[in-house]
Amino acid sequence: MKGLSIAVICLALVVCLLPASSSAEEKILMMATTTSTDNTGLLDYLAPKFKEATGIELKWTATGTGKALKLGENCDVDILMVHAPPAEKKFVADGFGTDRREIMYNDFVIIGPASDAAGIKGKSIKDAFAILKAKQAVFTSRGDNSGTHKKELSLWKAADLPVPEKESWYVQTGQGMLATINIAAEREGYTMTDRGTYIKYESNLKGNPPLKILVEGDAVLLNQYSVIAIKPKHCAKANYDTARRFTQWITGPEAQQLIKDFKLLGKPLFTPNAKM
Amino acid sequence: MTSGNAETYSAIWATVKVSSYSIACSLFIGIPLGFCLGYFDFSGKKPLRTVVDTLMALPTVFIGLLVYAFLTQRGPLGGFGLLFTLPGIAIGQTILALPIVIGLSATAVEGMDQKLRIAIMSMGANRRQLFLSSLWEARHGLLAGAIAAYGRVMTEVGISMMVGGNIKWHTRTITTAIALETNKGQFGLGVALGLVLLAIAFCVNVSVSFLRRR
Amino acid sequence: MDLPIYEISSLKHSYAGQTVLAIEHLKVQPASIVGLIGPNGSGKSSLLRLLGLIERPTQGKILFNGRLVEPFSEEARFLITLLPQEPFLMKRSVFNNVSYGLKLRGNGKGVVQKVNEALKLVGLPSQDFARRPWYALSGGEAQRVAMAARLALKPKVLLLDEPTASVDAASAQLIKEASLRARQQWGATLIVASHDWQWLYEICDDILHIFKGKIFGTGRETIIFGPWREPEPGKWVKVLSDKQQLVIPAPPNTETAAVIDVLSVSEDELRTSDDDIVLRGTVSRLSLEKNTDQVVATIIVGNLPFTVGLTPKQKRERTIFPGKNIFIHYSLDRVKWI
Repeated sequence: MKGLSIAVICLALVVCLLPASSSAEEKILMMATTTSTDNTGLLDYLAPKFKEATGIELKWTATGTGKALKLGENCDVDILMVHAPPAEKKFVADGFGTDRREIMYNDFVIIGPASDAAGIKGKSIKDAFAILKAKQAVFTSRGDNSGTHKKELSLWKAADLPVPEKESWYVQTGQGMLATINIAAEREGYTMTDRGTYIKYESNLKGNPPLKILVEGDAVLLNQYSVIAIKPKHCAKANYDTARRFTQWITGPEAQQLIKDFKLLGKPLFTPNAKM
Repeated sequence: MTSGNAETYSAIWATVKVSSYSIACSLFIGIPLGFCLGYFDFSGKKPLRTVVDTLMALPTVFIGLLVYAFLTQRGPLGGFGLLFTLPGIAIGQTILALPIVIGLSATAVEGMDQKLRIAIMSMGANRRQLFLSSLWEARHGLLAGAIAAYGRVMTEVGISMMVGGNIKWHTRTITTAIALETNKGQFGLGVALGLVLLAIAFCVNVSVSFLRRR
Repeated sequence: MDLPIYEISSLKHSYAGQTVLAIEHLKVQPASIVGLIGPNGSGKSSLLRLLGLIERPTQGKILFNGRLVEPFSEEARFLITLLPQEPFLMKRSVFNNVSYGLKLRGNGKGVVQKVNEALKLVGLPSQDFARRPWYALSGGEAQRVAMAARLALKPKVLLLDEPTASVDAASAQLIKEASLRARQQWGATLIVASHDWQWLYEICDDILHIFKGKIFGTGRETIIFGPWREPEPGKWVKVLSDKQQLVIPAPPNTETAAVIDVLSVSEDELRTSDDDIVLRGTVSRLSLEKNTDQVVATIIVGNLPFTVGLTPKQKRERTIFPGKNIFIHYSLDRVKWI
């Protein structure tokens, strides 16, 4: 009798859990994006609007750029939203993705303590990096092969400097953008971040963060976001039509305006640049 | 935090659902297996026991990776569409809990008095009744195994993250939410969520303790 | 003769390569009370487990009511019960322990009444005890509950392994009475292993001595263990606690025990023949042997109990009584070794 009641409870659990997974017969679009994108809160803001407009529910998982691309390659998602143009182009060239459309950009900035002991404020990227290296100022890097990390590595290259891999002042956190910023703040050091995440960081600290923007505006600091649909030829099960709906929507005038309007602390995080 | 945040409730409910599911499965499969491992003598019993004990220490990220490899679309079980779902996480967590349940059940059974067999047979039990009554007699040890497994399952991140994808409203559990918030630097929120987890574990243990002496 | 309830032939039983029992032939009559006397390790518990059909013998046959039966068979389950030496209860209340066997048989009706009757038989009033959990009982109470659990089933055979060994005196008394009640009320066959030889002599129809897995004799011999000394060449003795020397023939090895059969008692120390050995002792008790008119005297010689039947003359003249100093006679020739 006791065993029987336990069996009944188990059965009840099974019954109440299963429908949860199959009740979602509505349209779903599975997206892989990066942690920095997710952390800005943009998708939380856009998803309900997308559902209103099209009836499709957007579900997304946020990982590093490398893993997002891998998920796409493995057909585990239907669409990607990432910001690593060279890797993206390779992805399409390899036949995994299609319909790559640029949707928005923001820029990267170098941030550091307000006191700016190294004195890099207002300098160009080349100069700023050279000074940081000379002064051995603490610099935190993503160190995780993400789009942001790859961008940072390209900046060292552009400055004709070797990546300070093993230097003690170069801290490779292996974590997300906000975590890396926090570590920089703890160590009173410098780091490179995208503006979107910086504004979010600023907003988290109620407008008064210990790290301020010191270097910005350099052309090489552009951060371009795109969406790529997974190619049906590569993945038979990819929800290509739903992915296309999203691509059309996000490059359309309504979504582009929404992106423009997305602000934290009164500052816009992204600049829409989809070509119609 | 204590203000009813819908996201938090969703994460809590996800955690409760998925851990209940995986505990139920692992107990259902693991207790009989553990019982047999402890009760019967057979060649290869000792090595098997060692294997089970070793598997108890499997890192969650490793299990997460394995399960991902199976559930990904390109993988053998991809067709079921279990990746990024709660049942998918439950599968991984069941794998996590099974060695614990099997190992501790076997220990509970081995610790049983030999006299039990004589007493029960003497009263007229047939083989099935002997098995069930022995199982019931070992219930305190089995409960300890269940609690240990439960603790491991409730607090794991690796599997939930890799297999679930930490998708808001769907597969975000308390533990992955904590990981996310601490990664964003929101330590306060992370700690608060951790306390919620602790509170749930406490409630479960309190209700279990009523069963302990009976 | 009725069909014996048990018939053993060519039984050999071993554990891990060691032979623990070797019994050529044994019969037990239904509704009889059989005593089993032997030191620990002699194979008593193994024999009881085999008779209880808990285990199958390594070799040989046990016939129950003339049929070959296996563990888990109907007869094994519903007609025979075994009470092990150490009190052991399942982790549940007293009531549930006692009713366990009844519920197994599907006896839904009247369970409460049967449980109460059984508890009454062992002197545990059910109002006080039925609800108690298994851990809230003394050793003696627990053993009584275990006994009640078996009595409630009214088994045809009740096997008791040292039922009074691990319990207090009061519980021992109650358990003894309850066993006899079983025999009286429904004609159960009792096979009792015990060190309480006085009790066994009192109640048993047959007493078997068991030693090193073998059964021999029916009752009146005394087994003596070493160490054996040779104070003079050719003379082997065991020195008793009162410094008397128990003389025996040369032992075949150091491990054997001697079996002494007392022939007679006398009030004087005169030897009746050349190989007559005489020892001084004190009469400790007299008992009336069951089913006969024999009076059996137990005489303590240097801490060892010897039993001997009284002659009709001694019985009539009533010269032997407890406390009397007396001499026992046994024949050196007839000492056996095991």
